[in-house]
Amino acid sequence: MRDPEKSSELEETAPPGLPSFQEIRRILEERVEGLRLEFIPNPAAPDQSSFCVPTEFALETARILRDDPRFALDFCSNVTGVDWLDQTVEETILHRETTDEGERTIKEIVRRRRPGFLEAVYHLYSMRARRGPLVIRQRTANRIDRVRVASLTPIWRSAEFQEREVYDLFGVRFEGHPDLRRILMWDEFKDYPMRKDYVEPDDYEYEPTPQGEAAAKARRHYPYGGAR
Amino acid sequence: MEEHPYLFLAVLAGTALVFCLTPLLIARAWAAVFNAAKPGEVKQQVYECGVEAKGDSWVRFHVGYYRYAIVFLVLDVEALFLLPFAVAFGGLSWGASVVILLFLLLAVEGLVWAWKRGALEWA
Amino acid sequence: MVEEGLRNELSRQNIFLTSIQELYNWGRRNSLWPLNFGLACCAIEMIAASMARFDIARFGAEVFRPSPRQADLMIVAGTVTKKMAPMVVRLYNQMPEPKYVIAMGACAISGGPFKRGYNVLKGIDRYIPVDVYIPGCPPRPEALLHGLITLQRKIAGERLTGPERPRHLRELEPSEYPIPAYGPYDLDPPKNTELWHPKPFVRDA
Repeated sequence: MRDPEKSSELEETAPPGLPSFQEIRRILEERVEGLRLEFIPNPAAPDQSSFCVPTEFALETARILRDDPRFALDFCSNVTGVDWLDQTVEETILHRETTDEGERTIKEIVRRRRPGFLEAVYHLYSMRARRGPLVIRQRTANRIDRVRVASLTPIWRSAEFQEREVYDLFGVRFEGHPDLRRILMWDEFKDYPMRKDYVEPDDYEYEPTPQGEAAAKARRHYPYGGAR
Repeated sequence: MEEHPYLFLAVLAGTALVFCLTPLLIARAWAAVFNAAKPGEVKQQVYECGVEAKGDSWVRFHVGYYRYAIVFLVLDVEALFLLPFAVAFGGLSWGASVVILLFLLLAVEGLVWAWKRGALEWA
Repeated sequence: MVEEGLRNELSRQNIFLTSIQELYNWGRRNSLWPLNFGLACCAIEMIAASMARFDIARFGAEVFRPSPRQADLMIVAGTVTKKMAPMVVRLYNQMPEPKYVIAMGACAISGGPFKRGYNVLKGIDRYIPVDVYIPGCPPRPEALLHGLITLQRKIAGERLTGPERPRHLRELEPSEYPIPAYGPYDLDPPKNTELWHPKPFVRDA
């Protein structure tokens, strides 16, 4: 659950060795025309808040993050994917209301349906200045047909294989990738196995000690419908 | 009766032949009696690393490979000369040392020349 | 045919009798040449078994061959992914008869800890006949040696003639097994139904 007060508070924090998120936003939005960064707070233990970069500005933003001496993020250590299914999000909105007793704040919880999307997450470090990570994300428009994001391989060469892996397992298509092929699964494979709605092939014929989900799947192969 | 002086050669040759042929014949006989041969399409493939074989085992090599091989051969033979040189190094006269150094210099110069011509570039 | 007791008695008097079958099996079981390949961490234990401390050479199996044409034992050491399975089956097919397979480790037997992964084959015995299974994750080198000795015992018991002779001596039994193809969702076929007969489970609910 996202607390708007907490969010702005978290935006004042800074990734290790770097300016605060507010400052980073200011610098980037100043230098890239039309860029609007979305701040994604992470109040949980890892404490790695991040920015969501719109796809069309991703390449330019990444170049600044690498070349600007204030960041000098020359090393992309990790690229990964996240699959977000359709979900209902609860948002708390604060209203200020003036009544006879004075001013008071009303919390209103709004539920809205958020359509699913895929996400590519980049962890950036600076080898030269020894700092980081700064986490940036790119999101696709949906999970089905508009699954394109910009490839950051032209900026960080180390992203090449990892973007291929994200493509292979999540089905995110990276525009501008030099060699976007499957890397772990075979070329003839059609599905994306790390997606949350992936259905694995039913090879549960022989399960001597099945438990949990596997037991339910194995039961379909038992003679007499699973029970005597 | 006098023995022919070269009889032992014939005996040795015969023994060598028997020594080679007997296991082959035994294997043949064994296959005929017990263990039938089972050739197969995959079994006879030319390539044997698990990947599907493509094409023929008779392939042409790029001509650059031969230049590469000749340079290697020249330096390989040169190394052969270096060994006795190294062994006798302590007792060599000045003249001999100069001669072998000249030889080395020629070989190295050849290498530099080939290198410059791109003979060590692959493909 | 000389009976067992008499032969033991004779061997005590330094008279040794043998049969072609015994000589054949004795020779084969003491010179098993494994195929030199490893798929995952079990291969490290296999390497350890071949080194001085465990010394697989004591059992005549130290000659790891780099070509399937020269090997007669395939030690499937490690996780067989679905992408790798066709290669393993092809290598098995290229080995000359008689050939044996040891499935080393939980992964090669059943998929092991990766059993429910999307890309792990649930046991190499779905495609090729396995002679000895060595459980463990990974099995220690002693376990591999034990598996090797078990295989040697199995070979020692093989008959040259008669209806009980092993697969490689029967003319109509295949020496090659179908290589699975890469399908759109799984290997095609997902198992060799002529070869793999899992025990059907009858359980309450």
